[in-house]
Amino acid sequence: MTDETVLDVLGLSVGFVRRDGSINRVVHEVSLALERGKILGLAGESGCGKSTTALAALGYRPPGSRILSGASRVAGLNLLELPSARLRAIWGKKVAYVAQSAALALNPALTIGRQLTQPLAVHLGLRGEESRARQLELLASMGLPDPAGALRRYPFQFSGGQQQRIALAIALACRPDVLILDEPTTGLDVTTQARITALLRSLVSDSRIGCLYVSHDLALLGAFADRLAVMYGGELIEQGSTDSVARRSRHPYTHALLGAVPSVRRPRYVVGIPGRPPTSAVLGSCAYAPRCPYVLEECRTAHVELHDPGDGHVARCIRLEEIEKEPVAGRELASAPGSSALLLEVSDVNCEYRGAKSPAVKGVSLVVRAAERVGIVGESGSGKSTFLRAVAGLHRPTSGSIRLRGIELAPLAVKRPRPVRREIQLVFQNPDSSLNPRHMIFDIVARPIRLFRDDITSKHARAAVQELLDSVKLPSGLLYRYPAELSGGQRQRVALARAFAARPSLLLCDEVTSALDVSVQATILELIAELTEQTGTAVIWVSHDLAVVRTVAHRALVMREGEVCEEGETDDLFTAAQHPYTKELLAAIPELLPSTG
Amino acid sequence: MTTTSAVDLIPAELVEQEERPPSAIRAVLQSTEGRIGLVLGLVVLFVIVFGRFFTPYRPNAIQVGPSATGPSWSHLLGTDALGRDVLSRLLVGGGAIILIPLVAVTIAWVLGLTLGMLGVYKGGVVDALTTRFLDLLLTLPPLLIVLTLIGGAGTSNLVLVASLVLVYTPRMGRIARGATQAVITSEYVQAAQARGERTFAILFREVLPNIISPSVADYALRITYGVIFIATLNFLGLGVQPPKADWGVMIHDHYGFFNIAPVATLAPAAAVALLSISLNLIADALTQHVTQAHREVVPL
Repeated sequence: MTDETVLDVLGLSVGFVRRDGSINRVVHEVSLALERGKILGLAGESGCGKSTTALAALGYRPPGSRILSGASRVAGLNLLELPSARLRAIWGKKVAYVAQSAALALNPALTIGRQLTQPLAVHLGLRGEESRARQLELLASMGLPDPAGALRRYPFQFSGGQQQRIALAIALACRPDVLILDEPTTGLDVTTQARITALLRSLVSDSRIGCLYVSHDLALLGAFADRLAVMYGGELIEQGSTDSVARRSRHPYTHALLGAVPSVRRPRYVVGIPGRPPTSAVLGSCAYAPRCPYVLEECRTAHVELHDPGDGHVARCIRLEEIEKEPVAGRELASAPGSSALLLEVSDVNCEYRGAKSPAVKGVSLVVRAAERVGIVGESGSGKSTFLRAVAGLHRPTSGSIRLRGIELAPLAVKRPRPVRREIQLVFQNPDSSLNPRHMIFDIVARPIRLFRDDITSKHARAAVQELLDSVKLPSGLLYRYPAELSGGQRQRVALARAFAARPSLLLCDEVTSALDVSVQATILELIAELTEQTGTAVIWVSHDLAVVRTVAHRALVMREGEVCEEGETDDLFTAAQHPYTKELLAAIPELLPSTG
Repeated sequence: MTTTSAVDLIPAELVEQEERPPSAIRAVLQSTEGRIGLVLGLVVLFVIVFGRFFTPYRPNAIQVGPSATGPSWSHLLGTDALGRDVLSRLLVGGGAIILIPLVAVTIAWVLGLTLGMLGVYKGGVVDALTTRFLDLLLTLPPLLIVLTLIGGAGTSNLVLVASLVLVYTPRMGRIARGATQAVITSEYVQAAQARGERTFAILFREVLPNIISPSVADYALRITYGVIFIATLNFLGLGVQPPKADWGVMIHDHYGFFNIAPVATLAPAAAVALLSISLNLIADALTQHVTQAHREVVPL
C-alpha cells in the first residue's frame, strides 16, 4: 500500500444467504487498489459479481448478503469492520457512490438545492451562503447551464445526462477520496456518455480522486480507464494497465470477450462465447474451464491462482503466455449482395404522437432490396423505433406510403392481407416482454405457423417447431418450458425462431441485442447473419449502437430528431462521414483497439 | 477458438422434459388443495342435487316433532320452531343460495373480464363508454339495484341473478381493468398485433392468461360474497319466500333459539362454509398452477 492508494480491497469474499440457510458465494477473494487521480475499470458480464464487489468495498451490505472474508481500507480504517454509525460518517465524505440510474437515485420530491444542501450540512457543517456558494461551484464544474436556476428545480426537469451530472455533483460535494460508479452511463446516449466520461476524467485528475468505474462495456472502459480489471464467476481473472489488457489479453475469457465486442473502425464478424457463466463462485477448478477452448486437465481439477509474469499484468490462467500471443477472433465481413429486386419502398413517411410538439418521424424515405441488411442508427428520441413500428403496421403514419414489392400497404397490420403479414416479421429489444410469460415455447413458435404456414398441418407443427429451435441453436427439450426458465440469450433465440417460423422476406429488428451481454450479443449477431444469409431475408436493423450496425448492416441511415441526416453504404458512412452529426456520433464512440497479432 | 457451437449450456434437469406439462384441470386434480376442494364441492353439490330423495320427513311439514329441539335419533339435526325436521330442510334448502350466486358471479366474471380488457385494449371511445357505464353502476348501492328490479319485476330466481350480475360486473370489471393495464403495453401484445391477430384472440390468448390469477381469486371471493348477499335478501324477505327451505333463511330463522338448539343454526352455516372453502381451495390450486409459469431457473 503506497501513499497514493486511497482504497485497498484485500481478499474480499461475499455471499448471499439462500432460503435453506446455505451461503451462495458470489464474490471470491477479490483484491483491488485505487490510486489517487486514477480510474480503475471493473468489467464483467451480468452476474459476475462486479456490482456486489463495488458495494461490499464500501462496507454496504444489501439485505441477505454476508461478507465472508477480507478487508476494505480507506485512510487506515477497515470499512468492513465498522459499525453502521461510523460508516455513515465516512459514506459521502470520504467515499462516494453513484448508481446506474440517476433518475432513481435522486429524490423526485426534493429540489436539487435541497439534495445538495444535505451532504454539505451533515459532513462539512456548511450552511447558508457558504453552502450555496459550494453548490453553485459544484454544478458549474459539472457543466450544467444556469446553476442558480438548477438549484430551484426538481430532478424530472432535467435530461438523463443532466441528472447523472447532478448525481455526480452530490457524490463529489464533500470532496471524497474515493468515488465508486456503477454503470453510470448505461442507458444514456453515446454523445451524452462521451461528455460524462470526459467530465469524469478531468474531475478525477484535477481533484486526485481514486475512482472505481464498474461497467459491462469493455470498449468504454478500454477508452478511458487507466487500469482494467475483469471479473468472471465472482473472481478477478485479469488485471493490468488498460493498454496491456486490451492489446495483450492473457485470460481466455478476456480474449473471447474482446472478440465479441463489435467495432466501428475495424469491422469484422464478432464471435460469441458458447455456454453460460456460473452463477456462484467456483472453487476447486478454473471457473472458465467448461467454456474454455484452451482447457487442460489440470484446469478442471485445481483452482487457478493469479499468475504474474512480472509486469503487473496478472491473469488467472496457467497458459497465459500462449493466450497473449493468440490473435483475437473475427473474420472479415462479407460484402453486400449485388443489386437485386426491390423489396420495400418507403417514401416520405411522417409519424406523430398525439400531444407531442413536433412529429416523431419527418419525411423519411427508405429502400430495401431483397436479402439486404439496412441499419438505422440514432439516439433516443430520434424516431427510429417509431419509423420501424410504422413499417411493421403498429403505428399509423400521418402521411407517406409504404410499398412491398410495389404494392401499397395498409397503415395498420390488422388491415394488411395475410401474405404481407407473413412476409414482414418483427423482433423486439426485450425478450422478457416480447414473449408471453404464460405461453410455453412450443405455443409461442407454433402460433405464426398456424397463422401463416398452410404447408404445415397441425400434426406436423411439433416437428416444425423443433426444427426452428434447432436452427436458432437452442438445445432440445425446451418445447414445453416457459420463457422465465430460459436465459436472456435463449429467449431472444426463441423470439427469432418465432419470426423465422413465418418465412419472412423482411425482418424488422428493434434494438434486438441491446438488453444482452456482449458475449451473448455476439452469438445472436452471428446467428442473425447466418439465418438471413441462408434464407435470403432482408433486415432493417434499428440500434443506438453504431458498432453493432457497422457489423450487421450493408447500408445504414443516421436519424436525428425524426429526420434522416445521412445515408450510405456502411463502409463509406463510417469511414468518410459527411454530416456533422454523424461525425459527432462517431467521435463519441469509445473504441478498444486490441491487436490481432 | 470455436465458432460453430453457440448453444448455451443449460442444466441437465431442464433438458429432461419432453412432454407437455399437465393442463389446468389435471394440475388442480394433482394438488392436495385441489383434491380436497373438489371432494368438498362434490359433497355439497350432491346434497343440493340429490338431497331431496333422502329426506326422512316432508321438508315443509310442520309439527313432525316437538318445537326447537336438539339432535335426537328421530331428528338427527333436531327440529325448528315450527317443529319441522332440520335435516330434511337442509337437504332441500341448498338450491337457491348456491346456484344463484354461482350463476350470477360466473356471468359477472365473464362480462367484467371482457369489458375490462376490451376497454383498456381499445382505448378511446370504447374505453370511455365502458368505464363510464361501469362507474355508473358502481355508484348505485347494491340494495337499491335489487329493490328496483324486484319492485318492477317481482322476486324470482332470474331477477335475483340479474341483480347480482348488475352489482358484481362493475366490481369485477375494475379488477380486470387494473390487471390489463399492467400487461397491455407489453411487447408480446404488440407482436400479436403485428401478426394481425383479431382483437378477441389478443384479449383471450395473450392478455387473459396474464391477468387470470387475480381474477380467479376474485371470482372465488365473490361467490362467498354472493352467498352472503342472497342470504341477506332472504333475511329481508326479498329472496326465497317461506315456507320454502333455504340455508340462508334457515340460519336466520333458527338463530332465535340458538341457545336451545345450536345445531339447527350451525348445520346450514356449515354447509355454506363448506362450499365457500371448497371454491377457495380450487381457486388456490388454479392460481398456483398458473403462477408456475413464473418459476425461475434453478441456478447452475
